[in-house]
Amino acid sequence: MAIGILKIKRKGKMTFWERIYIPEILRGIAITSCHFFINLLGFIPHILFNNERKIFTLYYPEERVKYPDAYRGRPVLVLGDNGVEKCVACGLCEKMCPALCISIQPGETKLSKERYPEGFTIDQARCIVCGFCEEVCPKEAILMSQDIEIANYNRKEILYKKEDLLVPEKDLRMRQGFVRGAFARWKY
Amino acid sequence: MEILAFYILGVGAVVTAIVTVIHRNPVASALHLILTMVFLAGIFVLLNAHFMAVIQIMVYAGAIMVLFVFVIMLLNLQGEKWPPMTWKKLLVSFIGILLVGYCVIKIPGIFKGSILPMATQVTEDFGTTKVVGRRLFTDFLLPFEVTSILLLSAIIGAVILAKMKINKG
Amino acid sequence: MNLIIDLTKILFIFTLTMGVFAPILGWVERKQSALMQDRIGANRADIFGFTLIGLFHPLADAIKLITKEDFIPQGANKIMHTIAPFISLVPPLIAFAVIPFGGEYIINGRKISLVIADLDVGLLYIFAFASLAIYGPVIAGWASNNNWSLLGALRASAQMISYEVAMGLTVIGVFMVYGSLKLTEIGAGQEEFFKWGIFLQPLGFFMFLTSALAENKRIPFDVAEGESEIVAGYFLEYSGMKFIMFYMAEYIEIITISGIVTTLFFGGWHIPFISTNALISFFSLLLGDTLANIITMIIHIGVFFTKVIFFIWLQMTIRWTVPRFRYDQIMKLGWKILLPLSLLNILVTGIVILLT
Repeated sequence: MAIGILKIKRKGKMTFWERIYIPEILRGIAITSCHFFINLLGFIPHILFNNERKIFTLYYPEERVKYPDAYRGRPVLVLGDNGVEKCVACGLCEKMCPALCISIQPGETKLSKERYPEGFTIDQARCIVCGFCEEVCPKEAILMSQDIEIANYNRKEILYKKEDLLVPEKDLRMRQGFVRGAFARWKY
Repeated sequence: MEILAFYILGVGAVVTAIVTVIHRNPVASALHLILTMVFLAGIFVLLNAHFMAVIQIMVYAGAIMVLFVFVIMLLNLQGEKWPPMTWKKLLVSFIGILLVGYCVIKIPGIFKGSILPMATQVTEDFGTTKVVGRRLFTDFLLPFEVTSILLLSAIIGAVILAKMKINKG
Repeated sequence: MNLIIDLTKILFIFTLTMGVFAPILGWVERKQSALMQDRIGANRADIFGFTLIGLFHPLADAIKLITKEDFIPQGANKIMHTIAPFISLVPPLIAFAVIPFGGEYIINGRKISLVIADLDVGLLYIFAFASLAIYGPVIAGWASNNNWSLLGALRASAQMISYEVAMGLTVIGVFMVYGSLKLTEIGAGQEEFFKWGIFLQPLGFFMFLTSALAENKRIPFDVAEGESEIVAGYFLEYSGMKFIMFYMAEYIEIITISGIVTTLFFGGWHIPFISTNALISFFSLLLGDTLANIITMIIHIGVFFTKVIFFIWLQMTIRWTVPRFRYDQIMKLGWKILLPLSLLNILVTGIVILLT
C-alpha cells in the first residue's frame, strides 16, 4: 500500500452556530448518549437477532487477543524436534544484547553441533524485548515468543534459567516463518 | 435554649476573634476570622435576621475573606516570632491593659440605671427578605444607590489598575 | 412529635445522599462512562461469585481506601491538612436542607412539609454555604505544602468566586418570576406544566447549569484538578479516607445541584399535567384521606428523585462528553459571557413582568 499524505482542511474560523457552543455541546451529548442507550439496551438485539455487540472489551484472563506474528514477547530458546536445544552457545546474542541481560556458559557435547549452552540465563527484568538476539542468531535458536506475562513478586524468579526458556519448536512455527520471511530480504 | 445558643455563639465569636489577634500563623488567624464571621451570622439568626445572617456569610466569609486568605497564602508568610520585650513596650502594654480594664469595669455602671429600649414593635415578618428589600429601596434608597456607585467606581478603578501597562526604563 | 418528624426528614436525606447516592455514584460514573465509550466497565469485584454488574466495587473501593495509609507530607500543616476534606464535604451536605423533596400533606390532621428547613432566605442559604465550600480546596491546597496543590487551590478558588457571581445573578430571574426566595414556594408555583422554570426562564436554566457545573469543578471546568497539567490539583497530597472525602463532596454536590435544578426549573415534585389535588382526590375515592395523602407523598418523593437522577445522568454525560476548557476560556465564559447575559436576563424578565 502506498503511503500518501492526507491533507485535512481546517477551518480558520468557526461559524456563528459553532461559536454559540451550546448546540454543538448538545450534538455531542446526543452522540454519546446514543452510544450509552444502545449499549445499555444492547443485550436485547443481541438476544433477539444474535447481533454482535459493539463492546470491544475482552475479559482478559479468560479471553485473549491473538497477537500478530510480528509481535515480540519474551525471548525463548528453541527446543529442537530431537529434544535438544538448537543453541550452539556461540555467544553472539550475548554480545549483541544492548541491555546485557543474556549470559551463557558454553560446554562441549558429543553431538554434531559440538558446543551447547551449559547455562543460559536471561534476566527478564532487564530485557528490553528489542529482538536483536533473535536477529543475530545464526541457528534460529532464540526466538521471540508471544508470552508477555512476566510479572512476578521477586527478582530471583524473573531471572529465567535454561529450563524456563526452552520451548518446543512446534509451538514457535509461526514466529519461525515470520523471521525467515522478514530476514530473507537482507540476504544473510 | 435561646440564651444558651447566644452564649455559645457569643463566646465562640469572642474567642475566635482573640485567637485571630494572637495566633502566630497568619493563615490560621485568617481562618479564625472566618469562624468569627460565622458565629456573628449565628447571632444574627438568633435576632431573627436571617437575611443579614446569610449575607454576612456570603459576603464576608465567602467572598472577602477568600481574598485575604489568598493574599496571605501566596505571600507564604511564616509564623511570626514575638518581638523582644523592652521596658518601654512593657510599660505601654501595662497602661493599655489598665485602660481597657477600667473601661470594662465602667461599662455595667453606665447601663445600670438606664432602661434599654426593648424591641417591642417587632412585626411577624421582621428580618425577612421582603421587608429588608422594601426598606432598602424606599427609606434608604439614596444611601443604597450611593454605595452601589461607590462600589462601581471601585470596580472600575481595579480594572484600570489591572490593565495599566508598566513602563520599563 | 415535630422533632421526630424533623429528625426523620434529616435522617432520610442524610442516608439517601451519604449512604446511597454518594457511594453508588462512583460506580455509576465508571459504568456510564464505559457504556458511553463502548466498554464494559467495572465488573470484577464479587462476593461468593456474584458480581451484580459491578455493584460491589464501591464497597471494595471503600475498604481499600479506608485501610490505606493516611499520608501527610513533610512540611505540611497537619491540622489544616486534616480538616480540609471535612470543610469541603460539609457545605454541599448542609445545602440540601432547604431543598424541598415534596409538597405539603395532611396526615392525621397534621401538616407535613417535606423540607428540612423552610427558610425565608431559601436559595441565598445555599449560595452562602456554596461560598464557604471554597475553603475546602483552598486550605487543602495550601496545607499540602506542594506547588501543584497551591496552583490547583488558586485555580479552584478563582473559578469558584467568579462563577458564584454568575450563578447568583442567573437565579434572580427565577425569584422575580415566582416572587419568592423560598424554594417551597418556587416549587409550589410550578404545579402547571407550562409554568415550569424551564419554560419561563430557558436562558436562566442553561446559565445556571453551566455555572453550577463550574462551581462543582467537574470536567469541562476541571482546571483545578487538571491531571494533565497540575497532576491532581488541590488533593494531590491526599490519600485514603481524606481522598475519598473530596470525591464524596463532589458527588454530593452533584446531587445538590440536581436537586436545585429540579426545584427551580423542572417543577420540583410535580408530575406534568397532574395536579396534587387531582392525585389526592383520586386516591381518596378509593382509600380515604390519610392513606391518599401518604400515597401522594410517596409518589411525589419518587418523582422528585427521578428528576434528580435524570440530572445526575445529564451531568455525568456532560462530564464524559465535553473536553476541558482552557483556564482563560473559563474566566472569559464566566465574566464576559455569563455575567452580562444574566444581567440581560434579569432586565428582560423585569420588562416582561412589568408589561404583563
